[in-house]
Amino acid sequence: MKKLVAYITTGYPDLEFTVDLAKSLAEAGTDTLELGIPFSDPVADGPVIEKANLLSLKNGFKISQLFEVSAQIASDIDTLWMGYFNPFYHFGIDRFIEEANKSGVNGFIIPDLPFEEAKPYKAQMKEKSLALIDFIAPTDPKERISKIAKDADKFIYLVAYAGITGSGKSEELSSTISSIREFSNTPVYVGFGVNADTAKAKAKGVDGVIVGSAFVKILLDDSLSHTQKIEKISKMAKEIKEKINE
Amino acid sequence: MSEFYIPKKSPYDPDELGHFGIFGGRYVPETLMPVLEELKRDYEAVRFDRDFWAEVDYYYKNYVGRPSSLYFAENLSKELNAKIYLKREDLNHTGAHKINHTVAQAILAKRLGKKKIIAETGAGQHGVATATVAALFGLECEIFMGAKDVARQELNVFRMKLLGAKVHAVQSGSKTLKDAMNDAIRHWVTNARDTFYVIGTVAGPHPYPMMIRDIQSIIGWEAKSQILKAEGRLPDKVIACIGGGSNAIGIFNHFLEDKEVECIGIEAGGLGLDSKHGASLAKGSPGVLHGQMSYLLQDEDGQILEAHSISAGLDYPGIGPEHAYLKEQGVVKYDNITDKEALDAFVWLSQKEGIIPAFESSHAVAYLKKMPKDEVEGRVILVNVSGRGDKDMIQAKEMLSFGGAE
Repeated sequence: MKKLVAYITTGYPDLEFTVDLAKSLAEAGTDTLELGIPFSDPVADGPVIEKANLLSLKNGFKISQLFEVSAQIASDIDTLWMGYFNPFYHFGIDRFIEEANKSGVNGFIIPDLPFEEAKPYKAQMKEKSLALIDFIAPTDPKERISKIAKDADKFIYLVAYAGITGSGKSEELSSTISSIREFSNTPVYVGFGVNADTAKAKAKGVDGVIVGSAFVKILLDDSLSHTQKIEKISKMAKEIKEKINE
Repeated sequence: MSEFYIPKKSPYDPDELGHFGIFGGRYVPETLMPVLEELKRDYEAVRFDRDFWAEVDYYYKNYVGRPSSLYFAENLSKELNAKIYLKREDLNHTGAHKINHTVAQAILAKRLGKKKIIAETGAGQHGVATATVAALFGLECEIFMGAKDVARQELNVFRMKLLGAKVHAVQSGSKTLKDAMNDAIRHWVTNARDTFYVIGTVAGPHPYPMMIRDIQSIIGWEAKSQILKAEGRLPDKVIACIGGGSNAIGIFNHFLEDKEVECIGIEAGGLGLDSKHGASLAKGSPGVLHGQMSYLLQDEDGQILEAHSISAGLDYPGIGPEHAYLKEQGVVKYDNITDKEALDAFVWLSQKEGIIPAFESSHAVAYLKKMPKDEVEGRVILVNVSGRGDKDMIQAKEMLSFGGAE
């Protein structure tokens, strides 16, 4: 069965909402949760996720709250922390590793920490049974794909197109996917631009999809109540999970 | 000495992956990594290549107006009882040192077959310099500028448009240089295959900090031979302002191995170091932003703080990674100048020497007055006037009053 990974921004509209949404997503069949750590300068993200990041920070989000929330979530769903490198580095990788082990979080997704810079941290995380997810992009030549794929843990995050999250772009990925398969048995999940309409097509040839902006767009919809947002996002998650497995 | 400028190897060159000690590196989304690898290979191929630098030199001499003069500031020297020399990067075409690296980067982009260039800009000088070379070499050009800077530098926005560039006013975050760079990176990730990013300072992922340092080091290469000719000796001090740090590293680089020369970089002290400022070395800590590790203004959670400076070009919460390294190694001294001190120096240089400096460069000039007298008197001091103040007239007019015409 193909897997669904859901990204949500922690702390928007509030922390309690984040916990409720995570649990509801788990019930809707989401396999893994990417719990986003808001950052002031999210350069890999499009306007939707950037907005959620900035609003959460405006609400006063602190990293200490991430740890509280994660402890309530990680028992219900496979959870990874997704964030930009600076908060991890500044707050302390050691502390993050310790807190991840404490709250049951299984690893990290750090989009601005490429393979070369990630090396020392990846080893440190592995020692504590934590995964650091590797990215592969459609711009990567085969030689680079082989280096990254050989070493990949848990799943490979295949970036669906050259761009930022949540854009309408798409690219032909079959040669990138076959290169990955040549060097690795690690499952490949595709992310960027996946929503209810595109999920089936994007899931072609891979083992799962990662959905972010499509959920966060609902998160940001002020015309909906908290309960309505949770219902709508979970319904979409369920629909996507079904579509990728049709 | 070669008849024209070719970069040299430096003892402070980064390692293969672009690290200056713990600083520098490449912290970018994976999509850009192959692009940076390619740029690194392409730059290494031309780094010491005579033909490439001969082409650059042709445009420097005939288009930019290099070498820029080294001017003995007689009136300042008398007042301070010292010998003050000004490196006149303000006399370059488009009014600042930024044209040095846009010319060289555009020639490189052309060689790589890229037809589109993009740039971020703070004060607008780098944006204008990029739009200028785009017109010169027939490249498509898009400039990203914070909405706050668009408002305070409207003349430069008009100049960029006049030159044929498209200007994006970036509305996110603090609406200044930091946010302009975020959006330029987003555009670059999206158009990685056919777009050359002309970064405006010695920052960003490897190879940019090294490449732009190499290019801008023509400033110090010229200044060194000019001052040796004028004084028969090296200067005691070399002073330059620092936002990202391109004009500073440009003038320092050829003096770093001369132990008798003290290089001093001046950060934006803004409203004072206990208030809002842009002094990342003085008040920041190591962190990652815009593709590199360096000193950053950040809170306890690693969220980037807003910088402040009277000068849009220094209004940035980070600094080039080589400066972070040179600070830690104790090779360069760093200090800062407040908005008020810079504005005073802006008037001082204008009225003493008839040279109106950019607000950025005014920070370097102001340091002549901030230093203790015994550090100044009897010394030979070289100051980099990185740009001219024409772009700052509207802002200056709001802050200064000289009465009406008589």
